[in-house]
Amino acid sequence: MNAIDPALAGRPAATLMSGNQACALGAIAGGCRFFAGYPITPSSEIAERLARSLPEVGGVFVQMEDEIASMAAVIGASMGGVKSMTATSGPGFSLKQENLGYAAGAEIPCVIVNVMRGGPSTGMPTRPAQADIMQSRWGSHGDYPIIVLTPWSVREIFDETIRAFDLAERFRTPVVLLYDQVVAQLSETVVLDVVRDTALVERKWASGPPADYKPYAAGADGIPPMVRPGAGYRTHTTGLTHSENGFPTQNPEAVTRNLSRLFSKLDLNREAIDAWHTLGCDDAEVVIVAIGITARAASRAVELCRAQGVRAGLFRPKTLWPFPEDALRAATANARAVLVPELNAGQLSREVQRILGGAKVDGLFRFNGEPLLPSEIAARAAALVKGA
Amino acid sequence: MSGPSPTASELAKAMPAPSTLAAAEQQPVNVLVVGVGGQGVIMVSKLIALLAQQQGFEVKQSEVHGMAKRGGAVFSHVRFGERVWSPTIPLGEADFLIALEWAEGLRWLNYLKPDTGVFICDTKQIVPPFSCRDRRPGAALGYVRETVDEVIAKVAEGYAIDATHMAEQLGNDRVANVVLLGALSAALKFPASQWEEIIADFVPKKTVGVNIEALRQGRRWIEEARKGLPHPSTVPTPAMPVHADYRVRLEITPEWCKSCDICVKMCPERCLRLNAERIVELASPEKCTGCRMCEWLCPDFALRVHLDPVRATEGAVR
Amino acid sequence: MLVDQTAEFDVRDYLRKEMMPHFLCPGCGHGIALRALLWAIHDLGIDKDKLAVVSGIGCAGRLSAYIDANTFHVTHGRPLAFATGLALARPDLQVVVISGDGDCLAIGGNHLIHACRRNLNLTCLMLNNEVYGMTGGQVSPTTPETLLTTTTPRGNTEPHFDACALAAAAGAGFVGREVTRHVPKLKELIREGLSHPGFAFIEVLSDCTEILGRKNDLGSSPEMMLRQKSELRPTAYRDTVDMPFRPNHLPTGILARNDRPEYGTSYRRAAAAAREAKP
Repeated sequence: MNAIDPALAGRPAATLMSGNQACALGAIAGGCRFFAGYPITPSSEIAERLARSLPEVGGVFVQMEDEIASMAAVIGASMGGVKSMTATSGPGFSLKQENLGYAAGAEIPCVIVNVMRGGPSTGMPTRPAQADIMQSRWGSHGDYPIIVLTPWSVREIFDETIRAFDLAERFRTPVVLLYDQVVAQLSETVVLDVVRDTALVERKWASGPPADYKPYAAGADGIPPMVRPGAGYRTHTTGLTHSENGFPTQNPEAVTRNLSRLFSKLDLNREAIDAWHTLGCDDAEVVIVAIGITARAASRAVELCRAQGVRAGLFRPKTLWPFPEDALRAATANARAVLVPELNAGQLSREVQRILGGAKVDGLFRFNGEPLLPSEIAARAAALVKGA
Repeated sequence: MSGPSPTASELAKAMPAPSTLAAAEQQPVNVLVVGVGGQGVIMVSKLIALLAQQQGFEVKQSEVHGMAKRGGAVFSHVRFGERVWSPTIPLGEADFLIALEWAEGLRWLNYLKPDTGVFICDTKQIVPPFSCRDRRPGAALGYVRETVDEVIAKVAEGYAIDATHMAEQLGNDRVANVVLLGALSAALKFPASQWEEIIADFVPKKTVGVNIEALRQGRRWIEEARKGLPHPSTVPTPAMPVHADYRVRLEITPEWCKSCDICVKMCPERCLRLNAERIVELASPEKCTGCRMCEWLCPDFALRVHLDPVRATEGAVR
Repeated sequence: MLVDQTAEFDVRDYLRKEMMPHFLCPGCGHGIALRALLWAIHDLGIDKDKLAVVSGIGCAGRLSAYIDANTFHVTHGRPLAFATGLALARPDLQVVVISGDGDCLAIGGNHLIHACRRNLNLTCLMLNNEVYGMTGGQVSPTTPETLLTTTTPRGNTEPHFDACALAAAAGAGFVGREVTRHVPKLKELIREGLSHPGFAFIEVLSDCTEILGRKNDLGSSPEMMLRQKSELRPTAYRDTVDMPFRPNHLPTGILARNDRPEYGTSYRRAAAAAREAKP
């Protein structure tokens, strides 16, 4: 597949672009044909680019009256059978949470980009943070499954945006693309002219007689086929707890049955969902676990440590949620210490401690709008090895 | 038609008055034309008045036509003779009653001279909305119930003509009034050619032919009737407009009814009630008119009105 | 010959009968409004497969589940926003929104005014029962002054909205109001709204007999229905908005209609031009 945006046709394959630009191009390459959004720093470039490009490929861009409405419109378009996306930042992500929960509960595929900025509240709109790690998992009320991807480079934002659509469509779930302000707005040279080894994923559509169709009856993979309005299946979609037929129920058996399937549908498919990146973990005494811009600093810190004789490694989850815990366990099996540097007051480290136990996990937290430096991470990693 | 009319005495010298009109020299001839708006009552009376005027008589005509075009009652008095003082015909003094609609004809019967009055009536029925006094399907209407025989028996000389049907056969149902005028012409004995001339002058050019043919048919009908073929009383009784072409059936889904009472209270006929279990039921089926008010207002879709067609053999007339 | 234009419309043809009886209280006007909507859909010959009904939360929001169509019961206040996405993505669908007075005017008020402004081809039915019925009878943006609710225990002192005046001022292509008592008129109004190329806002004055009616001794369901358009509708409306009010009555029928361009059509035209301009 030629993944070059038509706008770049005829130009050199290598180009300088920002993370947000790459996200917009990845969306179009991933099949996105509907975007609804609301202006917010530092994600607005995604909307601006798609406002220009989507109509050119037969898609629709609409700037809604608020963040809530844009999330709702995205779900509405997806219920109509169209791959849909929105993009926002912290305050907007908070506002979208109720409808995000609706998409999770009613199993409507959609992609939500959250470009993380400093918080809480309005916080630091132009400064980076990684403080929405927990909100992206637990932000909406009630239990629900969700997939969160955390790219660390412009090129990876492009790829992960496409993967976000594939996962959303395949597993009928909202997928959050979570990256920080630095990655969003830094520009680097990328080559997008690549050949994908697989085709884009299309939603599993209902087939067979409408009378037999149950919107939430799933096979072994736990993913029920969906209907496109107008195809002859006149079904009901609700945010109320429903049974296989899609209609509301409070029958305990039916609720247990359907929510159990919902909660476990991603676990059944972890092989297709989990993704991570390791650097020098095989012989590492200390493994640094990080995402986004902090992971970029950490990769340099690994080099700095190794230059000093400290065997450091990097474990970077690309799929943040569900967290690739088996991979983390394997990557840290031989490590005496695990360091989790992050731009918040301690969120990723909490998950890593949950998985590995608290004894050998330490954190390095910063929340003043400045990124962590490789030297700072390397120093702490080296100190951990010496102290352990 | 314009210009000062010659006096009756001048005309009397110029042409011999028809012997049958001798009485008019003493007493005016009174013609009452009635019908409903839009049928051509005024036109008929104007033609009679014009012709009488041309024949040298003094003519007075008075009319009420406010409801013309709205289906309301219209009547016109035409009086002609040596001298005519009053423009209206007193009760029991009409020589001729020309009725373009059946019920309107009956309304004015007491204006006819009891011993000699001639009643010429179209059997056409135009049922006014207010005669639908009962909304039950197939209910009797507040309209004439007497048969033609019963009506004709009340007058000295009566002719019930299906003039509308004759006009339809001619291709223009609007000339029914001229069919009746033709019938009258046979009785008045003005020269037939004069009738045709005045019609040719009066009606739109395109319709002269059909109007004259209508006049001739009406005239022929009454001449044959007077010879006894067919006798006026053999005219079939006109069909009463009974709307019994459906039967109301109320389908109730009791398990959907929530006893809200809306249908019971909003039914115009009060024919529903809640039973002992507080579920709606049809208490007075004979009152139900099938108006659908209950179906429309039931918030729970528990009522469905069916209007089942009734086959002709079961008694529906049309 | 008897003329019975309604003979062929059986509301059950448009209902999910297995879901019946519906969950609304006895005497609730919402069922009547639902009939009128389905009747209008029948009149227009709209294919049920091409009909999408989006509803919010509350008594009115539950109605979509009973309609044999593509139905979406979404979050509180947001059905217009969901429907905007659906209608833009799928212009081949006839999209109808069912909302309540709280759903549409309070939590969803922003979406309403922008839906009116955008003038996308949607039909929004706001069933106004003047109270939050589902949650037990709290004051709503349309509760008349002085009425008792669970959150106005001494009578409502807040002024209330005139939704139609709001929608008209915000630029809705079609605005109308009718009471549930006049079913054929309501049906005709909805039919007009469905046919209008643009955003159609229709307020249906419905009765909440079980909650608001009981709390205020407004009488039985038929009594409340008979009172529609009279005592319950206060004259204070006249002082607050510039519309032709009759004493003691809210105006009904078609209240505003304009021929502003339909948003989806405008967008698609501009998009087609953009595609053509591209080499």
